[in-house]
Amino acid sequence: MNDIVLTIFLPLLAGILLFFIPERLKTVKGILALLSAIAAGFFAVSLSRADIVAGTPGALSGGGGFSILGIDILGDLARYTVFNPDSLASLIVLFISLFTILILLYSLVYIKGKKANNYYAWVLLTAGCSYGAALSDNLILFITFWGILGITLYKLIPGSSEESSAAAKKTLILIGASDSIMVIGIGIIWKMTGSLSISGTSLNTDNILAITAFLAMLTGSFTKAGAFPFHTWVPDFTKAAPATSSALLPASLDKLLGIYFLAKITSGLFKMNSWLTLILLMAGSVTIIIAVMMALVQHNYKKLLGFHAVSQVGYMILGFGLGTPLGIAAGLFHMVNNAVYKSGLFLSAGNVEYRTGKEEIDDLGGLSKAMPVTFISTLVFAMSISGVPPFNGFASKWMIYQGIIDFGGGSSIACKLWAVWLGAAVLGSALTLASFIKLTGGIFLGRRYKGLENVREVPVLMWIPVVLLAIICIVFGTLATKVIVPGLFMKVTGNFSFSGFWDSSFVSLLVFVSIVTGIIIYLLTGIRKFRSEDSFIGGEVIQDETGYPTPEFYKTFGEMGFFSWMYRKAGEKWFDLYEMSKRFVLWLSHQVSEAHAGVLPGYVIWVFAGLIVMLLIMI
Amino acid sequence: MNSLLPLFVVVPLASTFLIMIIGRFVKDFNKYFTAAVLLFLAVFSYYSLASLHGGLALCKVGGWEPVNKVPIGIYIALDGFNAIVICIINSVGFLAAIYSISYVKRYTGENYFYALFCLMIGGMNGVVLSADLFNIFVFLEISVISSYALVAFGVGKNELEASFKYQVLGSLASFLILFGIGFIYWKAKTLNIADIREAFKSGYDRPYYLFVELLILSGFGLKAAVIPFHAWLPDAHSSAPSPISAMLSGVFIKAVGIYVIIRLFFNMFVITEGMAILITTLGTMSMVVGVFLAIGQWDIKRLLAYHSISQMGYVIMSVGIGMILVARGVRHEIAVLAISGGIFHLINHAAFKGLLFLNAGAIEYTTGTRNLKEMGGLARSMPATSATSFVASMSISGIPPFNGFFSKLIIIIAAVMARFYLLAALAVVVSIITLASFLKFQRYAFYNKPHDTDDRKFREVPFPMVLSMAALSVICLLLSLLAIPAVRDAVLTPAVDILTSTVQYSTSILGQ
Repeated sequence: MNDIVLTIFLPLLAGILLFFIPERLKTVKGILALLSAIAAGFFAVSLSRADIVAGTPGALSGGGGFSILGIDILGDLARYTVFNPDSLASLIVLFISLFTILILLYSLVYIKGKKANNYYAWVLLTAGCSYGAALSDNLILFITFWGILGITLYKLIPGSSEESSAAAKKTLILIGASDSIMVIGIGIIWKMTGSLSISGTSLNTDNILAITAFLAMLTGSFTKAGAFPFHTWVPDFTKAAPATSSALLPASLDKLLGIYFLAKITSGLFKMNSWLTLILLMAGSVTIIIAVMMALVQHNYKKLLGFHAVSQVGYMILGFGLGTPLGIAAGLFHMVNNAVYKSGLFLSAGNVEYRTGKEEIDDLGGLSKAMPVTFISTLVFAMSISGVPPFNGFASKWMIYQGIIDFGGGSSIACKLWAVWLGAAVLGSALTLASFIKLTGGIFLGRRYKGLENVREVPVLMWIPVVLLAIICIVFGTLATKVIVPGLFMKVTGNFSFSGFWDSSFVSLLVFVSIVTGIIIYLLTGIRKFRSEDSFIGGEVIQDETGYPTPEFYKTFGEMGFFSWMYRKAGEKWFDLYEMSKRFVLWLSHQVSEAHAGVLPGYVIWVFAGLIVMLLIMI
Repeated sequence: MNSLLPLFVVVPLASTFLIMIIGRFVKDFNKYFTAAVLLFLAVFSYYSLASLHGGLALCKVGGWEPVNKVPIGIYIALDGFNAIVICIINSVGFLAAIYSISYVKRYTGENYFYALFCLMIGGMNGVVLSADLFNIFVFLEISVISSYALVAFGVGKNELEASFKYQVLGSLASFLILFGIGFIYWKAKTLNIADIREAFKSGYDRPYYLFVELLILSGFGLKAAVIPFHAWLPDAHSSAPSPISAMLSGVFIKAVGIYVIIRLFFNMFVITEGMAILITTLGTMSMVVGVFLAIGQWDIKRLLAYHSISQMGYVIMSVGIGMILVARGVRHEIAVLAISGGIFHLINHAAFKGLLFLNAGAIEYTTGTRNLKEMGGLARSMPATSATSFVASMSISGIPPFNGFFSKLIIIIAAVMARFYLLAALAVVVSIITLASFLKFQRYAFYNKPHDTDDRKFREVPFPMVLSMAALSVICLLLSLLAIPAVRDAVLTPAVDILTSTVQYSTSILGQ
């Protein structure tokens, strides 16, 4: 019990205290933040699997009551402060600690030169509230923690420029809106079951009320995780925010929590019917495809990563939409994998930005020699996210494919369409690979531009977290079937068997052997003796400033008939729920304001008209 | 304690005269004396709230005992509900007075300002404490007339125009109220609220009182700026000096508008379902239309003023839902939930809207403009204003862990529980648009780049202003504690009880 309270409130208290340390001592604040994150992580890991705990905060002060003016403040509160460290929550908590610690370590150097006030305080508050949201078993307590995360997200963007302030505003509006919608869902659940317990509730989705509640909760989960159509804050946020903020929230913690909550609502709070399954699977497929298409045409690498952060959520939703143990395990596994490589990618992007100060792929190139560690890790992350064996992204995507094929055996309409879901998943994966070739190629390969000659590898504190994440990618990929999935995920979903013949270690061994064979052939047969020439450009002499911006190759794609129309409309924000509702609200606002002309006789007429109308209605 | 109740009215009225006389000769007497008086009143109001214990304190002014159980004296009564409103009036008033110490220096005639300020406080306290209709009307006029003068205090073109409109519509409201009171006196032969209720026991002339109810509702609806009676509010609240705006929006419309409506319709008139539905509809309309009016505004104080309409809509809607359930006589616990949500939101609104107007005043004090398009990047130069206004914005938008979240949560859940799904959905939509418009405020005022043509160096406002803003933002956080069941039982439940058990007010007044 005390472990739970400490896990949640230690970072919260430390975060609040950090507000009072002056900004001059930034590094001291960073170290303090790191220490408290490590301490909280220690308690988080030691959370043993316990039954549902009714926790009073009074337990902190030794169990005694706490009264002001004769009111026992904490007496009734215990009904609301219920925590449930079940296996899924413990898993989430474990990874929250991991990411917080790694990112704080990275921030020590990265954030030093940036103008980010109270950055460490907000990071700690984020961590504390994430722990709280993952562990709470009461919906009110849950939404409180969950809602505070919106504020910390907002505060982790500097907001001092036109663009970043717009992104911050959009982010908090979307997140806050989804939280408000969730309140309706909570109200309906409370009304229907008379209870606010997450673990003790299981609603049948057979009437309109329960379905409304489900959709309201789904909105919250989708917005937090960044799934279509509530995803539009993610790319804007990642473009404007410091890389560490992106790595912390949209890439890892928000994914963990959003998908964690999705898991809770699809397989705990509600019993899904086949139509809801269909909706989930459709949302998943659309998310994968739309986001990856947008990622393909991006020039800003942080925004590109943002779109991928959306696209990957689609896979997890597919996994949970299936509802089978294999699907759920695959969704959870993909959630963890995605958080690992996506935060890795953002940190690598941070490395590049730290040394070059540039954010456009077009302005970068040829950094592989200058930043070898960053390059290799980025390559690992890029192959993981694109689903190349033997990395972890492949393992979880493969499980999702397996799950979809298994699912196709059912009789409902969603099962009949299994090929569509599979097609979307595979196509999405291919397009992901395409856009990551652009990213790694554009930044690290090719000719190095002027002004990039002095670029060096980043300081050790910055590359250690990145390398650790890359190692996790490899370990999770190679040991997927033997250790990781049975050890971490089967505890949550129950046992299941993999269909088909696939053993991640064996496959990895094959990949490894073929790479080694390739190197041996390369070394023995002397293919090394090739000659290198500049590219042939129609006989023209190659100029220093001539470059081949990799993104140009992807232009053709955007110019094809249907796609060009789609991209044009996307440019006009037709697919952005936020922009569309904003236009509608402002139009309506304009209409209402028109009536307020400031003419006094008109206002007097309103008063009497109101009185008369009320009289007419009541009589 | 009972005999001390008139102090709430007497002390501010007396200080009005003292300020006018002594303030002429002693420099700076007015500001510190006002602050001291309000500090005393605030402390006294909390003491009164704490010593009530859910009961009712009654003072018969002048010791006029009832004759044959018919009350003849002036009654001043304090119960769970108006004790809360008294606390709000005097604590926001105290902080606004502290804020004024620095702020009002820009105006001439400070003496008049503080005198009118005390007069307004005295009037509001009187309205809230009076247990008879005629005194409510008299104190209403005292506070309203001083507010007319305070709105026009800047004596610029806009201020005078706003004050004129406010006066015309305000006198219309007073006329409707007085008309209604006259009708009641004609039929019931008494003006004491408890006694009127007692008279209704012998028979309630439904069509006759329906007309009276509508007159009273539209009269006090005008004071509370319920749509369609709201047109005076944005002009008046945005033209007043900022501490007065904070008082008008944060306290005034509640004390002389919402409070009286709730009190009269629960504890005096016999609740009917039709009337309850009408009140709920008015509240919902205010909530929705108000927010649409607000989001298009670029003048900070007008934006805030329109939000007052919208937030009062929440309060009226929620209390109205409770009223419907009480009228039907079903599901008592949900009626209690809805009404306590409404009162909780009323308390919260005083804190965050008061704070927001003080923030707007601080911005205007420093930059000299109220137009959002002409400011930007103030977070750097005005950190305290920025932080406190962020707290207030999050509170009003209903983001946890601030107070507005919990009251909106209770309101929405109560609406769902009472099966008013549409109202719950509207409450959510309005909450989202509120969030959007306050993030617009945050973005254009505090974030973003500084305005291009602006190369002045801005500094944080003087200490008294920072102090009262910081205090209110701490209050915004602390009020969240009211969501804790035990605290709610101690503070909100007595207020709700006296409203839901409709005759309790009159029986306990007549019984003493």
